[in-house]
Amino acid sequence: MDADGNFDVVIFGTGITESIAAAALSKAGLKVAHLDSNAYYGGDEASLTLEELAQWADSRQPAAAQTSPYLSEQRNKFTSITRSSTIPDHPRQYSVSLAPSLITSVGPLITSLVSSGVSRYGGYRLLERVGLYDSAVGIRNVPGSKEDVFKSQEMSLLDKRRLMRFLMFASGDFEDKKELLGHQDSPFIEFLRTAFSLGKEVSEAIAYALAFCTSSTDPTLTALQRLRSYLRSSGRYGSSPFLVGHYGGLGEIAQGFCRVSAVNSGVYILDRPIRSIISSSNSVENTATPTGDFSPSRRDKYVVELEDFPEPMTADLIISSASLLPEGLRETAHFLPQQTSSTVLSRARCIAIIDRPISFPTSLRADEDPSPEPASVADTNPVPSVDNSPVDTSVVVFPPSSLEGGSSTSAVHAFITGQGSMSAPQGKYIVYLSVPMDETQDTLPETILNPYLDAILSLTVSPSPEASIPPTPLFTLFYAEHPSERTQSTSTENKSSTVLVSPPISTALSETSDAASDAAEVLFFKAIEILKARRREAWTVREGSVEAGSGGDVFEELKFWPPLDGDPEEEAGEW
Amino acid sequence: MSKQLQFKLVLLGESAVGKSSLVLRFVKDQFDDYRESTIGAAFLTQTVALDDGTTVKFEIWDTAGQERYKSLAPMYYRNANCAVVVYDITQSSSLDKARNWIRELQRQADPSIIIALCGNKSDLAARRQVTQEEAQKYAEEEGLMWAETSAKSGDGVADIFTAIAKKLPTTAQPAARAGAARAGAATGRAGVDLNKQNAATSNDPCNC
Repeated sequence: MDADGNFDVVIFGTGITESIAAAALSKAGLKVAHLDSNAYYGGDEASLTLEELAQWADSRQPAAAQTSPYLSEQRNKFTSITRSSTIPDHPRQYSVSLAPSLITSVGPLITSLVSSGVSRYGGYRLLERVGLYDSAVGIRNVPGSKEDVFKSQEMSLLDKRRLMRFLMFASGDFEDKKELLGHQDSPFIEFLRTAFSLGKEVSEAIAYALAFCTSSTDPTLTALQRLRSYLRSSGRYGSSPFLVGHYGGLGEIAQGFCRVSAVNSGVYILDRPIRSIISSSNSVENTATPTGDFSPSRRDKYVVELEDFPEPMTADLIISSASLLPEGLRETAHFLPQQTSSTVLSRARCIAIIDRPISFPTSLRADEDPSPEPASVADTNPVPSVDNSPVDTSVVVFPPSSLEGGSSTSAVHAFITGQGSMSAPQGKYIVYLSVPMDETQDTLPETILNPYLDAILSLTVSPSPEASIPPTPLFTLFYAEHPSERTQSTSTENKSSTVLVSPPISTALSETSDAASDAAEVLFFKAIEILKARRREAWTVREGSVEAGSGGDVFEELKFWPPLDGDPEEEAGEW
Repeated sequence: MSKQLQFKLVLLGESAVGKSSLVLRFVKDQFDDYRESTIGAAFLTQTVALDDGTTVKFEIWDTAGQERYKSLAPMYYRNANCAVVVYDITQSSSLDKARNWIRELQRQADPSIIIALCGNKSDLAARRQVTQEEAQKYAEEEGLMWAETSAKSGDGVADIFTAIAKKLPTTAQPAARAGAARAGAATGRAGVDLNKQNAATSNDPCNC
């Protein structure tokens, strides 16, 4: 922080959205202070050790002793929390994600990771397998690509032809195709069966395991758009369309973006609650234009004071996560709207630790591709043609009604990952379960998800054929996650506000990461628009920010991510 | 046969003890009296050639100022093979801070991490507050490497990095940048480098 503590932007919360925005704003040459009242990075998308996770859960219990405005908000957001009383050995070797997510290989988050340079800080692995739960046989393989369909021995030639035709359709520009006309909002499964004459099993596999639909009524157009982005993602880094971030994914990635901000002179202060925020109006006039657009004549500055922190900070603009938004700013804040159409739902969630890998059928293994092309992975070890090592990182999909005692309306996507994603010690695996919850029913998350956890355990590999001990989880945490209540202003829309609240992002396994990047981009441009209007004169002289000599309108061409500059060390060729 | 090994080195220490200056001297053989606090690079690299023909390439991570308010991310320590913890010999309080960082490393980092304690600003010995004996004794107790350096004059700088390079395992797979190579080695497959997409089947990366 400079001597006078002046910033362009103060950001509350180090969740993935705010962290990406912080990196982009710092890279654009703005002075950013990034604060969190938590001692850890990542906010509601943090990656935590098992001890931290237990603490996280306990402090969100309604009866917990500690109180703060933030914790009250969190106790509304996270409810019905139950956890094992004992914590497994080596708790620090786990990185458990509060927002488990798959990263599409072609999509907004990958673009942000690569364009910001954050991709060089952390590691990633491919999602190895996606399987469909079938109570009769265990896990069925899902043909995820045209190659898979071609190789499949379970399908008739006619089925293969129909499926091929559909996959061609789904990976193309289908928006104006006759097959889709009038069916945009009809249930996707129904569309697959009528428009492409696909059988029930294949339709379900496509809807739940390829397009990640969560119910039989998911509308066709959005499901197709998701599926297209996944089909186009496969092949970029390997046959799976999805990557999984090391050390708990988004929480670690958020730290990477924060580092990029810090490297570009962002100031980081964690573990300090906000003491006060004063809006000091030092303007001559204080009016918004009649259209509600931002008026550059507004000159409010915010003075932020933190607990246990000597100097106050001033800022022209405040960006806040919904969770950390100080109550006093709520009335005047501009709550940015969600970027995608799918609603953010309440979810029942489970995090479990198990000590056996999932047993997948042997065919259709993603990396058993016999084609002569070089393996897509960066690793230079040749991939053995027969690989008996356990599947480390996978998704098991439970379609509605596939499991006795399970949901008849919602699909559950179980995400399992272990040492291969650096999230667990050797031989241990983290199981993430989540399902949209009907808030009108008061069924506990534990009741909803326990049958699924039992099913996952029944799919694990026994350590020895004689082993008769039924597998039990080493640790479980169940909870409900609700959309933040603070997603709307109490007053009218504050389009001219200088307090921006991050948009809500999807909590679905395959959507969170891209939604966060999209949300951050919206925050970034909104922040630039506001600051540009206020501080036009200041922009051109800020050193090291934007290209000099382009006059007062340098922001017209400002990009979310400018090209990485040619620092030879940073950009060394072999990297 | 020469071989090149790559290691991640993290810098730690109180603000203004000369962490960045030390690296600047090591990497570019430069010194700037009025250097502002850390700016700029995500990490710097420098190579050390050992007598046996091995070259050790350091990927050096600076704290980027995140240490100032105790806000250094766990990500910073991930896969670090070695750490240089810097104190200022003219500020006894900076050695206390260094001790805290060493405890933090012992808690957070890989147990096999090699830690070097480095007393910087040896050119200001006239204003010394930390004796060599005190620092050396502490280093011995904790099993750390120790040296005094002057980023300003260059004294001892190359030596400490060379000493670290010699101590690093030359056989083990180094925990390379991005963890990609290590992940690949650990599991035999599926480590991915995001900056290298699959050329054979590359899709248009444009997402518009």
